[in-house]
Amino acid sequence: MNYLLSKDEMDAAFHSISMDFKCYGAVEREGEVVFDRVNSFGGISEERSRYAPKEFLISRNEDVLVLGTQDRKAVFGVKSCDLKGFYIMDRQILGKDPFYTEKRRNTLFANFVCNEPCDGGFCSSFGGPVLDEYDLQILREGEMYHVMVSEKYDGYFSSFQREDSSYFTSFKEEFNRKAEPLQVEGVEDRMKWDSKLWKEYASRCISCGACNFSCPTCYCFDLYDEGGERKREWDSCILGGFTSSSAGNIRNGLDERLRQRFYHKFVYFKRSKDTYLCTGCDRCVEDCPVDIDIKEVITHDYSGE
Amino acid sequence: MLSVQGVGEGPISVASGAGRQLLFTIRDIGTVTSKLKTSRYVGVRGPYGTSWPWKEYDEIVAVAGGIGIPPIRSLIEEMNGAGRGKDIEVLYGARTPSDLVYKKELKDWSKSIEVHLTVDRGEGEWNGDVGFVPTLLKKVRLSKNAAVFVIGPPLMMLNTVKEALSIGFKADRIYLSLERRMECGIGVCGHCNVGEFYVCEDGPIFNYSRVKEQRELFL
Repeated sequence: MNYLLSKDEMDAAFHSISMDFKCYGAVEREGEVVFDRVNSFGGISEERSRYAPKEFLISRNEDVLVLGTQDRKAVFGVKSCDLKGFYIMDRQILGKDPFYTEKRRNTLFANFVCNEPCDGGFCSSFGGPVLDEYDLQILREGEMYHVMVSEKYDGYFSSFQREDSSYFTSFKEEFNRKAEPLQVEGVEDRMKWDSKLWKEYASRCISCGACNFSCPTCYCFDLYDEGGERKREWDSCILGGFTSSSAGNIRNGLDERLRQRFYHKFVYFKRSKDTYLCTGCDRCVEDCPVDIDIKEVITHDYSGE
Repeated sequence: MLSVQGVGEGPISVASGAGRQLLFTIRDIGTVTSKLKTSRYVGVRGPYGTSWPWKEYDEIVAVAGGIGIPPIRSLIEEMNGAGRGKDIEVLYGARTPSDLVYKKELKDWSKSIEVHLTVDRGEGEWNGDVGFVPTLLKKVRLSKNAAVFVIGPPLMMLNTVKEALSIGFKADRIYLSLERRMECGIGVCGHCNVGEFYVCEDGPIFNYSRVKEQRELFL
């Protein structure tokens, strides 16, 4: 359902949500936007957080021998590029990874829809910034808030003024006109195994793994024992030991590991899950110390090589 | 998955047939396996992934190299248990005679089924075949409609597939057991990816036709 709310009404809706959920929001702390506990709607930042909110569902490091009960959390101020990451990861890990699944089912995410395309970001290439799947999407127009809410959470808004979906529809059309989406469709057929890109990237890449950590769709992790705990920790397919086993290492070369990262995102995941493992957030580009640009992987002229 | 608490986990296949006491045959080769033999307690998690689809075929040729034999032991026990022990032929090779695992079992199996052995290098009293495992395929008595189950080192599997196809076995009846770094076992952690497949979940046993286009199939 779609609703139109004033600032005071948003405060009221937030208040009723906070009766059932621990509320988190994007807030500025020491010059960086991070997620922290919030107790009112007014203080939540519309700026994108420094890091994707992946940690709400996948801890950087946790003991997997104990599956505790999960708090119900509502997270406000998530941007659609980051939020879409969860819907993409769902296709591979929801229902299988018990930690992710429990947290996913107990977390409400509120998408703060960006009013303007950002520098570098290309969410409109992957269906953003108004998503087809959502809990709650909030689009501010001056002092008013257009709200799109899923059936599951409709109860928190049903007493407010309803509107049709035309505002979101025309907003999205206008956004796309400004953002100029990349030609992503068919990249899985265009990409080349022996492309010169992989070696070129490998000559610059320092294997830091920042691209994986900043990515809202990278879900790979390492399992290891430490003391009495068996831990899961974010892992990176760019690191040399990622595939090493007693049988050998299938991807000894850094160029092979970089190729794997991009093939997983644009070829393999598309084949198995019918979607790309990328949301156009541009975080990997921003955080890459050697300026490897995933947009080039999409737009590169492979046939001209 | 077998684990030693405080050390870690590793993917280990079951070497015994269904309904029997769990048996694992392990080579001491890494961090976890080196501690398994001295640990009082061993953690077991699973089973995960696919198994040999022997019930779908009238005849089975099982080809194993090196430490790949334990899952074949399990297969033989399964088939014997179902009264189908006569429908399998076993081809097994190792580097040297002393590297052959299950010497007692090999003798027992030979009494009722065809078992062909080979070693890369003969030594001691060895008077059997010397040569790589794929050369044994020519000795198989079962028909070319038999399913071929292959497990072993990457190069051995690659050459076995080539040889099997060249002498008339069918690509869609060849099965490979792939080995990769497997950590979670449930198709999430991402270390065992081969193309769009998760070896731990979609495999480890794959129909060759399903994966033959994969560029990273053999190491």
